[in-house]
Amino acid sequence: MPTKITSWSEYQVRERPPPPPERVSSHRWFTEDMDHIYREVRDELPLYVQRTAEEKMRNHSLAGMRASHEVMGLLLGGRFTWQGREYALVRDVATTELEASEYHVRFHEDGMEGLFESLDDLDFVYSIVGWYHSHPGIGCFMSDTDVRTQEGSFNSPHHSALVLDPVRREMEAYHMVEGNVVLRALGIYWDLHQDPYRG
Amino acid sequence: MEIEVTIRNAENGSVLNMELDPNTTIEDVIEGAAEFWHKEAGAYVLRRGKKLLKGQSTVADAGLKNEDVLELIPDPEGG
Repeated sequence: MPTKITSWSEYQVRERPPPPPERVSSHRWFTEDMDHIYREVRDELPLYVQRTAEEKMRNHSLAGMRASHEVMGLLLGGRFTWQGREYALVRDVATTELEASEYHVRFHEDGMEGLFESLDDLDFVYSIVGWYHSHPGIGCFMSDTDVRTQEGSFNSPHHSALVLDPVRREMEAYHMVEGNVVLRALGIYWDLHQDPYRG
Repeated sequence: MEIEVTIRNAENGSVLNMELDPNTTIEDVIEGAAEFWHKEAGAYVLRRGKKLLKGQSTVADAGLKNEDVLELIPDPEGG
């Protein structure tokens, strides 16, 4: 039965300065290519990941490695604009029970309520700015399944995909450009009163 | 009797209001919202609060009421 949209409103992207350069770093899991693009655009990064969010993803991928399966979650934060450029902040991540094997992962239907609870527990108004998942032992890349997910759900300019390989200790980020998946530069940031990031 | 609900796009914070017949399925609701936002309907789920709305159920079955706020959430698959 058809549905009828009666009205709509677009989200207004807020102006907000990005984390200052002295509180942003690369990551020891970055591949050579990731490190290269980080250094190229480190003063104008399109994506910043909060230190604690990165630690959660990394620990999640390591737990999955011990259980020999992939893990996955959502990147939560927001998109902002500053001096004419748009960027995304990942302030936290959320995950739940998974339906996972060595080469496949998705949320388990029974885990959805837990995922929604995590979203409701956040202390900020979130946008889902992308997703992360792991490739234990096979390196960082976007498989056909990953590309379909990126095209189907995360096809806006601010959306990213993070892939971690906890065996090789590698991390890469990707986004869509004119239908193709390409690497995206990112920096890990920490808040003013946190210890500096040590990886 | 038709009802009107608000759907929030969790990926960008945009919202839309949709008029629904009680016999409309949740799948149809997801499809309408996904089409509006140029997304693939099969890659999303819809929630009301902590409850996952099942695709095959109707608006009436799901107990949706006028002015309910729903959220469209991506359901990614990795490999």
